[in-house]
Amino acid sequence: MRHNVLVSRLALGLYLVIFFGYLLGPLVIMSMTAFNSNPFPTISPWDCFSFEWFQVLADDERILRSIRNSVVIGLGTVVLSVAMGLAAALLLTQIWPRWRATYYTIIIAPILIPGVVLGISTVVFWDRMSRFLGPATSDLFHNGIFLTVLGQSTFIASYTMLVFVARLQRYDPGLTEAALDLGATHVQAFRKILLPFMRPAIASAAVLAFLASFENYNTTTFTFGRYPTLTIELAQKVRYGINPSISALAFIIVMLTVFFALSAEAWRRGRMKMAGQAGGDPVPQRAGILPAFLRGNWAAVVLVLFSFVAITLFWTARSYSPEQCKAEVRAAKQAEAAKRREELLRRREEMRRQQQMKGPDIFAPSGRPAAPGASGRPDTDRAPFGGVFDPGNLEGQSGTGNAPRDGSPPQGGTEPQTGAGTGAENGEEPGNGGNRTTPFGSVFDPGNLSGTAGN
Amino acid sequence: MTDGVGVELENLWIRFGEFVAVRDASVNINGGDFFSFLGPSGCGKTTILRAVSGFLQPSEGRVLIGGRDMAGIGPNKRPTALIFQNLALFPLMKVWENITFSMEVRGASASERRRRADELLEMIALEGQGNKLPGELSGGQKQRVAIARALCAEPDVLLLDEPLSALDLKLRQHMRTELRAIQQRVGITFIYITHDQGEALTMSDNVAVMRAGVIEQIGTGHAIYDLPATPFVASFVGENNVFRGKVLEVKGDEALIRTNRSGDLLAQITPAARGVLKVGDDAMMFVRPEAFSLVDDAGAHAGKSLTARVVNEEFEGNSYSVFLESEGGKRIKMSLPNVGQERVVSTGDDLILKYELRNAVAMPAGELASE
Amino acid sequence: MARPRLFAEYFRTNGRFLGITMMLLVGFWIIVLILLPQLSMLDFSFRYNLPPAEQGGPKDVYTLDNYRHLIYGAGGGEGSYNTVDLMVFGRTILAAMAVTVADLILCYPLAYYLGQSRGSGFVRLLVVLLIIPYWINEILRAFAFRIIFADGGIINAAMMGLGLIDQPIDFIRADIALYTGLGYAYILLMLFPMYNAIESLDRNQIEAARDMGASWVHIHRRIVIPHAKPGISSGMTMVFMLSAGALAAPQILGGPSSLWFTQLVYQWFNNSLNWQQGSAYAIVLLMASIAIVLTFMKIFRVNMGDIGK
Repeated sequence: MRHNVLVSRLALGLYLVIFFGYLLGPLVIMSMTAFNSNPFPTISPWDCFSFEWFQVLADDERILRSIRNSVVIGLGTVVLSVAMGLAAALLLTQIWPRWRATYYTIIIAPILIPGVVLGISTVVFWDRMSRFLGPATSDLFHNGIFLTVLGQSTFIASYTMLVFVARLQRYDPGLTEAALDLGATHVQAFRKILLPFMRPAIASAAVLAFLASFENYNTTTFTFGRYPTLTIELAQKVRYGINPSISALAFIIVMLTVFFALSAEAWRRGRMKMAGQAGGDPVPQRAGILPAFLRGNWAAVVLVLFSFVAITLFWTARSYSPEQCKAEVRAAKQAEAAKRREELLRRREEMRRQQQMKGPDIFAPSGRPAAPGASGRPDTDRAPFGGVFDPGNLEGQSGTGNAPRDGSPPQGGTEPQTGAGTGAENGEEPGNGGNRTTPFGSVFDPGNLSGTAGN
Repeated sequence: MTDGVGVELENLWIRFGEFVAVRDASVNINGGDFFSFLGPSGCGKTTILRAVSGFLQPSEGRVLIGGRDMAGIGPNKRPTALIFQNLALFPLMKVWENITFSMEVRGASASERRRRADELLEMIALEGQGNKLPGELSGGQKQRVAIARALCAEPDVLLLDEPLSALDLKLRQHMRTELRAIQQRVGITFIYITHDQGEALTMSDNVAVMRAGVIEQIGTGHAIYDLPATPFVASFVGENNVFRGKVLEVKGDEALIRTNRSGDLLAQITPAARGVLKVGDDAMMFVRPEAFSLVDDAGAHAGKSLTARVVNEEFEGNSYSVFLESEGGKRIKMSLPNVGQERVVSTGDDLILKYELRNAVAMPAGELASE
Repeated sequence: MARPRLFAEYFRTNGRFLGITMMLLVGFWIIVLILLPQLSMLDFSFRYNLPPAEQGGPKDVYTLDNYRHLIYGAGGGEGSYNTVDLMVFGRTILAAMAVTVADLILCYPLAYYLGQSRGSGFVRLLVVLLIIPYWINEILRAFAFRIIFADGGIINAAMMGLGLIDQPIDFIRADIALYTGLGYAYILLMLFPMYNAIESLDRNQIEAARDMGASWVHIHRRIVIPHAKPGISSGMTMVFMLSAGALAAPQILGGPSSLWFTQLVYQWFNNSLNWQQGSAYAIVLLMASIAIVLTFMKIFRVNMGDIGK
C-alpha cells in the first residue's frame, strides 16, 4: 500500500515536471538566448554573456513605433469593449427569458469565430461602407487604428462581458432600487451604486482587454493598415529572419508578466490575510525577521526577491562589458575558421589537381543529396527560414537562389566574424558539405567566405 | 394623527402576462396610520408595495398619495421610502454615508450630511458607529440603519417589506416595539408588509388581509381577529376551530348551524355576511381555542356547548393546549391558561366545552388558509 | 401589446439615458460589429473580383465561382479537383482535432489535481505559474518553439550530445514544431474551464464512491467526467476553434511544404489581393468549424450556455 502511494506520488511529480517543463521551458530558453552574444537566438553554442541585444532592441525604431500603436489601439479597445461588454452583461440580466438563449449565443459567438474571419469581415464591411457613404468617410474607414480597434473589440467585448456577468451574479438589484427610492436618478444610482460595485470587475476586464488587444495577431494582421502593432512587427521579424533582440523583448515581457502575476498574488494574499483578521480570525503571529506584510505571503517574498534580482541585473547591464570575452571567442573562432579555410584550400587544391586530371565542372554539386523543395516553393511567406536551412546553399553560392526574398540580409552577413566563428564551431566535419549541421544554414558557413573569395 | 399623508388605492389591478398578481384592490390608508398588509407569501402584498413605491406600473386603477395621482411618477420622485426585505444597505458605503444617501443625491454638503447622520444615529442608538461598513454590524443594527436611511429621506410614507423576517425571534419582538415607537415619534404613514400575523396585530392601526391577489378584509387588528370576514381570514389570522355545516335557522344577527359532526351550534353572523347567509346555505363556523371553557352541565348552555374526549395535552408555558375529539370524530383544540394548576385534564376524560355567543362567528363556506 | 409594455418596463428600470446608452452600445456591437460584417463578407464571397471601375456595373453579379475554386481549382472544370487546397483544408481540420484531443489528455490530470487539492500554497503557486505563459504573446510563444526546435536548438543539441542522433532532425519540416507549438498555444484554454468545473465537485462524492469500492477509472468515468463535462466541452470547443483558426503558429512554425487553411485565406487576401476569394475561404472555414463544434455538442449533449464558463 505504502509502495503504491510512493509510486503514484512519483508519477504525479514526474507528470507535473513534464507539464510545467512543456509550459515554461520554452520561455526560459527563449529568455536565456537574449543574453548570448551569438547572433542566432540559441543557447547551445554559448558564446558570451552579453546585453547587446537589449541595446539593439532599444535602437529599433520600428519596434518602438509599434509599441506606441499597440498602446493606442489597446486603450481604444479597452474603452469600447468594456463599455459594450458591461452594457451587454446588464442587458443579459434584464432581457426577457424567451430571447435570452439567442442573445447569449450571439454575444458569445465572437469568441468562437476564428480571428482571421473577424479581421476579414471587418475590413470588407468598412470598405463597402466607405464606398456606400462616399469618399468623405474613406480615410476613417480605411484607417488601421479605427479598423483594428473595431475588429478586436468585436471579440474582446465577449471576454469582458463574461467577466461582468460573473460579477453581476452577485449583485443585488435591490440596491439600485433602494437608491432610486431614496431619490437618486438612474444615472446617480448607476454611478454611485452599481459602478463602485463593478469596479473590480471593470479593472480586471480592462486589463484583460488590454492584454488581449496587445497580443492579438489573427485579426490585426488584416486590419492594421499603416499602423502595425507590436505583435505584427514581431511576427514580421520572426518570419523574415530572427535575431536575439526579439528574445530580449520576450525576456522583458516575461519579466513584466512575472512581476504582475506576483504582485496580483501578493495583493490577493494580503487582502485575504486582512479579511481573516477583520473577521476575528486571528492569524498566528510568528515572530520573525520578515516584516509584517511578508509574513505568510510567499508571493510577496518572491516578489521582493524578484525585484531585487531585476534591479541587480539592470545595474550589471550598465557596467558590464563582454568585450574581452567576445574578443576571446572571436579569436578562437577566427583561429578555427582559419584552420578550416586552410583545410578547404588544401582540398580545393587537391580537387584542382584531380580536375586537371579528370576534366571540367568543379562546382557541380556532385556527391550531394538532392535539395528537396529548394526551388519553386509557392509560398513566399516562410521561404527565408526554410531557404536558409536548405542544404542547397551549403557551398560557396550564398545569395544566389534561396536567399530571403524580402531582401533583409541574414544576420550573419552583418557580422561576418562572429558568423564565421559560429559556423566554424559547427563545422567539425569539414568538407561534409551535404550535411545540414549548421543552425543558420549556409550563410554562416566559412565556405561562403572562402567561396566568394575564391570566385 | 390625521395630519399625515394618506395613501389610496383605487381599483388596482396588476397583471404579469396572464398572471393576475393584484385583483381590484381598493384601500384607503389614513395619514399617520400604521397600516399592514398581511397574507401568505405570493398573495400580492409585495406587488402592492412596489406599485406604491413606483417600481411597478399598475395595469389598471390608480395609486394616490396625499390625493395626488402617482401615474408616470418614478420611484425617485415619490414621497415614499422603502425598507427592503433584505435591507439593501449599500455594502461599499459607510454607515453614515448609507444613512444620508438621499441627501448626497440632492447635493447636500458633507458637513451637513455628517450632522444629520449623527442625529439619526443617536435616534437609533448607534452613536459613534457611523464610520463602520454595513458588513461589520449585527442584524438588528443593520435593521436600524435601514430605518434611519429611509427616514433621512423625510418621506411622507414609509414602506416596509417584511423587514424583520431575517431576525431571530427575540430581536424581532424587540424591533416590533421599537418600530411602533418610531412611527409614533415621527408621525408619518407606515405601510407594513408581513406574513406574520403577530407583527401585524401588535403594531398596526389597521390591517388588510390578502389572499391570491384579493384583499379579503380591512379592519383593526381586533376586528380582524374577532370578526373575520371570510373563512380564509378566520383560519389565517390566529388559530381557529372550524365547524362545517348548513344553516338551520337565522335569527337577526345569529344563526343556528347544523354542523356535520358536532351537533347544532349557535353563532353570530359576521358583519360582512349579514343578510347574505340564508337558511340552507353551506356555512362555516369558527371558535377560537381560548374561547372554550369547561362546564359540568351541558343543559344550561344549549346550542353553545359540545362534548368531546381528550386525546392529547401539551404544556406550552403560558397555557395548556388540549386536543379533543367529539363524538362525531371532529377534532377540536382548546387552550387553557396556566394559572399554576398542576394539571387540568387527562387523556381519555370526557369534557363539556362551552363558548360565549360573541366568540363564535358564522359565515358562508369558503376556502381556508392551507396549513 | 406585450412588446411596448416590456420596453416601458425596461426604461422604468434603467431610466431613459442609461437605457438608450445601453441599447446603443449593444446594438452597435451586435449589428455593426458582429452581424453586418459577417453578412457583408458572405455577400462578398459570392462576387467576382473586379477592378473598382467595374464594381456595381453589369459584370458585378453573384457567382459560386469562389467556392467552386476551392473544390475544382482555377479551371473550375469538371474532373480535376483542387487537391492542394482540399488537402490543406482536411489536414487543418484533422490536425486541429488531434491537437484538441492531445491537450485534453495532457490537461485532465492537472485539472483534476488542481481542482481537488484546494487551498494549499503550492497549488496557488502552480496556478500563478500557469498564468505566466498565458499572457505571453502568441508570436513569442511560437518564436520560443522555433528556437528550441531549430537545427542548432537545444533539443537537437541535447540529443546529439547524448549520442541519440548524429544529425539534427528538421523538426520544422516534419511539422513536429507546428503541432507542439499549436498544442502549447491554447493549452490553458483547455485547462482553466476544466479546472473550474472540477473544483466545484464536492470531494465527498469521490470519497463516497471510493467507499463503495469504485475503482479510480470508474470514479472518473461515472463521477468526475460527467460533472466536468461543461468545462471539458467548453475547453475543447475553444481549443479546436482557435487551433483551426490559428495563423501565427503555422506561419512561424509551419514546414515549407505544409500550409494551414488560414494561410490560404491570408494569401488570397494579402498576397493575391483577391478579397472575394479570401472571403469565400473564410466562410468555408467558419462554417466548417461551427458545424463540427455543433455536431460534437449534439453528440455529447452540451449547451451553448456552458461555453465561456
